[in-house]
Parts: sequence; C-alpha cells; structure tokens
Amino acid sequence: MTASAQPPPPVDEKRASFEREALVHLDTLYRVALRLTGNASDADDLVQETMLKAYRAWDQYEKGTNAKGWLLTILRHAFINEYRRRTRHPETVDLDTIEPFAVFGEIQEDDPQGAFFDRIVDDEVLRAIDALPEAFRETLVLSDVEGMSYQEIGKILEIPVGTVKSRLFRARQLLQGKLYDYAVNMGYIKGTPA
Amino acid sequence: MNCRECVEHLYEFLDREVTPELERDIREHLEECPPCGEQFDFESLFLKFLRARCRAQGAPPELKRRLLHDLFGE
Repeated sequence: MTASAQPPPPVDEKRASFEREALVHLDTLYRVALRLTGNASDADDLVQETMLKAYRAWDQYEKGTNAKGWLLTILRHAFINEYRRRTRHPETVDLDTIEPFAVFGEIQEDDPQGAFFDRIVDDEVLRAIDALPEAFRETLVLSDVEGMSYQEIGKILEIPVGTVKSRLFRARQLLQGKLYDYAVNMGYIKGTPA
Repeated sequence: MNCRECVEHLYEFLDREVTPELERDIREHLEECPPCGEQFDFESLFLKFLRARCRAQGAPPELKRRLLHDLFGE
C-alpha cells in the first residue's frame, strides 16, 4: 500500500444519473425548444429552465424509464405556461379546415423519386416547419426529427394515439405542399404551386 | 389488400407502427403493385430527407456551459 492511496471521492449519485439519463438529451430538448419558441434566445432559456426543474424533481423520475419523454413533458408545460403567451400566439386556426395537398400526385410523372427535395437547404425546411400550426409542428418534430413513437408522442402531448396519427398525416402533407411550392417557385421542378 | 387500404396505412407502416400481420399484408401488396410501391418510396425518402435536414442543429456549447454551472456549480 502506497502513501498516496486515497479513498475514492464520494460519488454524487444524483449528479451522475442526471448526466447519464437527462443531459444526454440536451440536443433533443434544444431542437424541440427552438421549433416551439421560434428563436434561439427563448429556446436557451426554455431548455435551461427545463433542466433546472428536472434536476430539482429528479427523485420523482423513475430511473431507467423514459427520461426523454419525461423531460419533453416538462419542457412543453413550461413552454405553454410561460413562453407561448409572449412568443407565439396560441392556435387560432381551425386545424380541421386545413386541406392537405397530395404532392406525390403532382410529381409522380416528372420526379417520382422526389429529387427536387435534395436542392432544398436546411434553413428552408426549418422555415417551412416553423410555418406549420403549432399542434402539427410539435407532433411532426417529435416524430420526424426526434424519432419518437406514436405512444410516446401521445403521452407528451396528452392526446390519443389516433390524434397523433391524424396530425402527423396532415402535418407531413402540409409540409410537403409548402416545400413543393417553394421548389416550384425556385424553378427546381416544373409545376403549379398548390 | 387493395390500394386504398394500403395507402391508408402508409405512414404507420413507414413509422413501424403496424402489427406484424398488417406489415406482411402491406409488403405483399407493394410487391404486386408498382404505383403503390412508388408512392411508399417517395414518402419514405421524404421522411429521411426531413430528418437529415433537421438533425444537424444541436444545443450551443455556451448553453451547455451555463447549464453545468447552474446545475453543479462548475
């Protein structure tokens, strides 16, 4: 035994498990916050607040379950309670009146592989997502960007799985329509904007 | 399965949210029906495109630093 042998430092279990299970989802929280608030400064604050709340409530989280879903639920509640009022206005559009536009029907002759998508850059796609009604936007982001299941999304958004499906269908069709219009206007593809 | 039923489950299929039986029926239909196959390929490419365009963004390093400081006093 050498004189320099020291007992290991006391392990801060709370911190270690929080880093392991919660902080690894920081990028996801940030991307979702950005799409909800629409600007980087509010997204920063929203994520900060979410993580601090989560750390305070960490004892209530059952370790090893679904930390990503748990964190996103906290984030969404914080957004609704504190940010939505001053960033974006709550939904005023009637989601049922929005007609989806079938892009595949338009392009199947000339570009069935959707090659025109390759010419659309990141910023343009994010802008189109931001222009979706909030209920569609949050569903689409959780599914198509973050890869969550219908059930997980339903739990976070507090809606039935059937509603997740129908919102997702319409969100994707709407977004395709917007990107198709953009591609037509840019001359990437022949066609008439929807 | 006919084309209408197949397309009705298009996104659920691509999202891997269908039962194994339904998945088998859809795959069988897609093999015999090129138009439905094309539509499924298009939608599948669209979803991949979307994910690729949106995943690049992550939390800024400054936010990470601020968080570690506020959480653990670092």
